[in-house]
Amino acid sequence: MVKKLLFRLPRKSQLVALQRPSFLLGLFILLSSISLALFPDLFAPYDPNVFDYTAIKQPPSALHWFGTDNLGRDTFSRVIWAYSVNMQMALFATIFCLAIGIFVGALVGYYGGVADMIFGRCVDAIITFPFLVLVIAVVAVLGPGLTNMYIAITLVGWVYYARLMRAEIMGQMANDYAAAGKVMGYSDRRIIFRHLMPNAITPVIVYWMTDMALAILLGSSLGYLGLGAQPPQAEWGVLIAEGRNFITTAWWLSLMPGIAIVLTGLGFSLVGDGITDLMRPRG
Amino acid sequence: MKKLLMATVAAAAMFSAVPSMAIERGGSLTFARYDDSTLIDPIYADRNPDIWMVTNLYDTLLRTEADGKTVTSGLAESYDVAEDGQSVTLTLRDGIMFSDGTPIEGKDVVFSLTRASDADLSPWAGLLSSIEEVSADGNQITITLNQPDPTIVLMLATFNTAIVSADAFEAASGETDQEKAQSIAIDGFVGSGPFMMKSHQRGTLMQFGANPHYWREGEDGQPLPYMDGINFLVIPDDATRILKLQAGEVDAAEFIPFARVGELEADPNINMELFPSTRIIYSPINTRETRADGSANPLADVKLRQALNYATNKDALVQLVLQGAGKPVSSGLMASTTQLATDNGPIYQYDLDKAKALIAEAGVPDGTELTLTILAGSADDAIILSALQQMWSQIGIDLNVEQVDGPTRGAKNRSGEFDIHTYGWVNDVNDPAQVAGWLGYYPTAKAVGTGWNNEEFNSLYEASNVEMDPAKRAEQYARMQAIYNEAAPLLFMYETPFAVALSADVQGYVQTPLGNNEFASTWIER
Amino acid sequence: MSTISYFLSRLLQIIPTFLIVMVIIFLLVRALPGDPAIAMADAKATAEQLEQIRQRLGLDQPLWVQFGIFVKNVFTGNLGDSILLKAPVTQVIIERLPASGFLTLYAVLFSLLIAGPLAFVAALNRNSWVDTSIRSIFQVGLSTPVFYIGLLLLTFLAARMRWFPVGGYGTTFLEHMYHLLLPALTVALYTSAIIMRNLRSSVIEVVDAEYVQFARAKGLPERIVLGRHVLRNALISTVTLLGLSIGNLMSGTLVTETVFAVPGVGRLMLDAIFARDYPLIQGLTLTFAVLVSIIFLLTDMIQAWLDPRLRVA
Repeated sequence: MVKKLLFRLPRKSQLVALQRPSFLLGLFILLSSISLALFPDLFAPYDPNVFDYTAIKQPPSALHWFGTDNLGRDTFSRVIWAYSVNMQMALFATIFCLAIGIFVGALVGYYGGVADMIFGRCVDAIITFPFLVLVIAVVAVLGPGLTNMYIAITLVGWVYYARLMRAEIMGQMANDYAAAGKVMGYSDRRIIFRHLMPNAITPVIVYWMTDMALAILLGSSLGYLGLGAQPPQAEWGVLIAEGRNFITTAWWLSLMPGIAIVLTGLGFSLVGDGITDLMRPRG
Repeated sequence: MKKLLMATVAAAAMFSAVPSMAIERGGSLTFARYDDSTLIDPIYADRNPDIWMVTNLYDTLLRTEADGKTVTSGLAESYDVAEDGQSVTLTLRDGIMFSDGTPIEGKDVVFSLTRASDADLSPWAGLLSSIEEVSADGNQITITLNQPDPTIVLMLATFNTAIVSADAFEAASGETDQEKAQSIAIDGFVGSGPFMMKSHQRGTLMQFGANPHYWREGEDGQPLPYMDGINFLVIPDDATRILKLQAGEVDAAEFIPFARVGELEADPNINMELFPSTRIIYSPINTRETRADGSANPLADVKLRQALNYATNKDALVQLVLQGAGKPVSSGLMASTTQLATDNGPIYQYDLDKAKALIAEAGVPDGTELTLTILAGSADDAIILSALQQMWSQIGIDLNVEQVDGPTRGAKNRSGEFDIHTYGWVNDVNDPAQVAGWLGYYPTAKAVGTGWNNEEFNSLYEASNVEMDPAKRAEQYARMQAIYNEAAPLLFMYETPFAVALSADVQGYVQTPLGNNEFASTWIER
Repeated sequence: MSTISYFLSRLLQIIPTFLIVMVIIFLLVRALPGDPAIAMADAKATAEQLEQIRQRLGLDQPLWVQFGIFVKNVFTGNLGDSILLKAPVTQVIIERLPASGFLTLYAVLFSLLIAGPLAFVAALNRNSWVDTSIRSIFQVGLSTPVFYIGLLLLTFLAARMRWFPVGGYGTTFLEHMYHLLLPALTVALYTSAIIMRNLRSSVIEVVDAEYVQFARAKGLPERIVLGRHVLRNALISTVTLLGLSIGNLMSGTLVTETVFAVPGVGRLMLDAIFARDYPLIQGLTLTFAVLVSIIFLLTDMIQAWLDPRLRVA
């Protein structure tokens, strides 16, 4: 069974999806998150890393909106600065997967044969591991830290994109115009990149949107477990882990960064849903 | 007059507060640990969670008192070191028994000490290298030495010389001694300590029961231990361990993060104990002329190392990392609780001017980059890093960071691929020879990986290991500490206590300066 | 194609996959930086002790010989000794599997109990406020990391309210049920969101399908229509989804075990990673892979059994 997905301009009825309140809310959250990530210094009232012994573990107040931690650092400022790290995760943990996945998926999908068979077995093998298990095993090899986390996720994650891309390319090839291209003697490169890819790429992009939300969840989980971003860097997972020791006496330390994760994740998935609806062919 | 008397009585009652309380027997304690034991055997115990449990299951010939320094009788009621220092004789107590009811005899002592000093078996054999032969004649034990050994008496009060049953090892299944030790630890346990192993589910739960044949008496004149047993729960996560204590699911939790000591001290249901320890936190500095990558190493200059030490505000570190529950080191070579430690007050007291002068003398340019290697995921190390970055920027040092896991840090220490890295140490033996050998004597471990190789220090160390005159040995140690402090192969930091939180009704629990968990005299108030 | 030959061909497919799995694990573990001997030894170990350990591990052999030894060992069930726990890896993993298995099944049960009824309610009241609010709640659930849900439940329901124990596993079956209730709920909140989403659309699809409309037109009571047609199809899609998301479920379990101090294989995996316990990392990754393959296989078989049409595909 092959899904037929043709790229075309959204119809007016589909554009309605963009006016739904849930999409608008998502867009608002996402745009705010991006601004916070780009200009944390404009929004954060304090330096996120400077200790202040006169204000240790203070509950939320007018001075410190989200309270302070055990070293007197301002939690609000740390949560804000973490936006740049966590939003960066959404991008860096997925963009290389996307690029490699599209490229490899298109090639094996187009040429098939032995390459496709080897690819198939590799995919089977990699999806045989729980995603997180393989990622932390690779992090163990490379050592903890943000860059290594991106490498680990990319090493494992591209497979999912490639699998999707391959299926889409093969679907497109079943269409007449691909055959027509071959008959007309176009080069493989031209057929793949000019004819097949523009049509096949849509669902991959939609998947990418949802994957960015997952990347934030995954990145903060690794940070929490001590395998992702490292303290004293402000990152939501790290902040929650740091606050864990004080959860009965200073609840704000863990609660606030968690809210930031949920909100941002929600922003991504609401926008992702809107775009999915937009691109989904009717009928 | 009457008033005065009353006051005296009250004072007397206060000073003897614990003995005056009627001890209650029975019950069992649930103790939350940070890590599980693997094999609790006197000679195979090589990690702290194993080492620190040994003396609960196996007794030693001699014991140290609570201060960890004064030697007193154990399974042996008396000991005597020959005048020439070439032998030690001990007399075993009468009527002592293993947990299976069989008598503890000379042959068990011979077996245990021979096993403990066998370099093919025990990683600790090096500490007993002076033992030539052990023989027994009835209750009389004679240890013949191949050279005078000032440490031997303390070694007989150390976990690795604890007494195991020769018959039990004979009967145990397994090919090698280690396999036999493992099978004894799992089923058919036979030991000489106050408790015996009842069951062990790796990584989750370990249960000790009281040894009905234990010899030592409690304050009520009955044999120890007071409790019927101990359940050890393994809970690696600090926060969960404390939550379980607060919820009353466990009676005690060890390794309380210092950031939480204050909060637990304020809790009326919890008795927050800070036991003095031999634990020191320090950072080895690479003193080699060149770094591993071949570039010139500015840290080879003693003046820069001294400058860094002066530029480090240890009191601030103690406040930041330990919330005040610790103190700056007073001897660079060992914790102040170790025997022969010199105490001249805190060394390298924070002095920015001195640091600036030294760094100028050394000719180290402003903006020189150094790298601090820290343990990934460690909150303490992250605080140390931030603090040092701020402190050292004052003397123009740009401190970079490298985060690695424990094994990688260990490998870097061995290969010398670091500038400065965080590290820690707890004595396993109370004699200073172990820690001094590790930190300063080049042949042991390149002076804890720093590459510092000082001839005078090395020869003093060698001489002190056969010096039987306590006064002369103390002099040698004083000189070694002076040399070491001056050369500053370490960033000297601080000592920390062992923080254990107990439910308020748990009495008499002690963690010794070496870290040993002592449960024999622990009892639960009801 | 008969059922048996379908199952056989499905089994044969596993062999090449598994060979690649073993190569991946072998290379991964050999690529671990640092000297495994140093990881195994205490910091105080001497150079000679390190050399002994290297010889014992066969680290002085060429790589292909080591791979041969590895494959042989895998098939004889001898995965070496754990550095961390100083016991055979196979034995350690077998000791830790029950807790994880219990938690996973418990979580699946919860997911179905939560997602099943809500999906039906949402689907049958499509686009009403009920539907919207159910979907919104699950949307939030999907955006919340597992460790955060766990931490909140642990703090408020266990530590503050004292309704549940603060982590652990207990010793009897009932204690397991009690100790693992919050962890199972934690894993389930995420999984049920995925199941809910899928089940809802699958129910809608079936309800709209012609044969169901026809059944209704025939005047069959709504209860029977729902029971006979809708449930059966919903079941097939749920089994498939559960099978496919077993990897996710295990990832969730891994994190949850850490938060709640459950002595399962997930927490063991993290301990092994931090201690660089490479025989254990190797054994655990292999175990996870074997478990997932078995689940995939079972899923295919149950699917084929529920829906014979699929056997031809």
